[in-house]
Amino acid sequence: MTTAPAVDQASPAAPGPPRAPLSERASHRVRYVLVGAVLVGALGFLLFKGLGTALNFYLPVNQAVHQRSSLGDRTFNLEGLVVPGSIHPTPQGVDFTLSAGGQTMRVVNDGSPPQLFQNDIPVIAVGHFAAGEFSSNQIMVKHSANYIAQNPGRVTAPNGTKR
Amino acid sequence: MTSTVVTERSDDHRRGDSADPDLVGGTRNGPPVLSRGAVLTTRVVGVAAVVGVAFTVWLGLWVTPPDKVQGNLVRLVYIHPGVAWVALYLAFGLAAVASLLYLWPRTRSLFWDRLAAAAVEVGVVFNVCTLISGSIWGRPTWGVWWAWDARLTSTAALLVLFLGYMALRRVPAEPEVRAKRSAFAALFAALDVPIVHFSVVWWKTLHQGATVLNANLSPTIHGSMAWTLLLGFVALTLVFVWMLLVRYRIGVLEDWVGSGELDLALRERQAEGIAPPVAPADVQPAPPAPAETPAGREAPREIAEVSQ
Repeated sequence: MTTAPAVDQASPAAPGPPRAPLSERASHRVRYVLVGAVLVGALGFLLFKGLGTALNFYLPVNQAVHQRSSLGDRTFNLEGLVVPGSIHPTPQGVDFTLSAGGQTMRVVNDGSPPQLFQNDIPVIAVGHFAAGEFSSNQIMVKHSANYIAQNPGRVTAPNGTKR
Repeated sequence: MTSTVVTERSDDHRRGDSADPDLVGGTRNGPPVLSRGAVLTTRVVGVAAVVGVAFTVWLGLWVTPPDKVQGNLVRLVYIHPGVAWVALYLAFGLAAVASLLYLWPRTRSLFWDRLAAAAVEVGVVFNVCTLISGSIWGRPTWGVWWAWDARLTSTAALLVLFLGYMALRRVPAEPEVRAKRSAFAALFAALDVPIVHFSVVWWKTLHQGATVLNANLSPTIHGSMAWTLLLGFVALTLVFVWMLLVRYRIGVLEDWVGSGELDLALRERQAEGIAPPVAPADVQPAPPAPAETPAGREAPREIAEVSQ
């Protein structure tokens, strides 16, 4: 804007209204500093959370089994495919088996699983190793990016394919 | 939004556009105006956006089948990826390109700065919608409202970065200084866009991979679901274009009002500087302010209507 520099040139000569009081300018500065601090703090928090957990949000069963000694009883996210037929409801929640990379792990979950929890679906269990199993208190369903129309009218052909 | 109101001005105002290169479409005697073509374009895009969104909702809720795994929860797929597409690739991508064109000496113009600012503001709205719609979808499907995985965290970081861009623009500065520092901020913030996109490839995330923009560029979605998803992308793109046009227009008017206030303040200062000192006893009540400013600018009546 071409008119803006004229303000500075005119200010010393023109005995116009005084500039905003010092306290007002200081409060503006404080406001900018506060907004900046909040944004930097938010970004720092996100980076901390991101670098701390997000990059390794879960460990597949085979990797977790490999690192079992170093993981100890630390809480982490275990990922795998729910083995068909392994789901058993319990008074506390549900037991099931996860598999990934050729390894399996029995999971004992305390609490209700999400509504999409089912056989043959990838899930992430939050918990820790306990004896020969994985003790979890939360299950997250990791559904795929494939969207297939549900068609209850399909029939199974003699060769086993759906038509 | 009644952006078209400002167009109902005489051609004299429009001819004055070239007199002030700092105001795109700005004039000395009235607010900047849109050409008839621009008005028509804005209206057509707006109507097309409404129709597109209506069709998407109709197809998404009543025509398309439920998903084999997600059942009726899949219907959010017609909104959430489209909203994210607009925020990440259209809005923030456009902001990055416009910022780059501002920084490039041969193409430097406040037009690019205003376009980047408008794109970022609309993009932030869509970014918030992305996080909210994703959270609403995540609760019944994943079982949690939020997870600190790479996709979600980097998307939240993107929002904070561009909120920082908007805060930076509010810091008082010369327009050129503000434009330059904003352009650098936009380019810095936009570095997060590819991180968001590839986060599901580079790292292990709870968030699923891309359905449409996947590695093979072969959408893994069936029939009418795919077409509805595509329509959702188009409809939300039209919504973005309409919001961008209107927001850009408001930006131009904001600059025009800002420059008018500066002119007025300068005139008042100069008037006070040359006025003879008045004895306290002679002080009379000030007459009502004239309808026209000392700079000869008409009061921007229409500007107030724009914000309705």
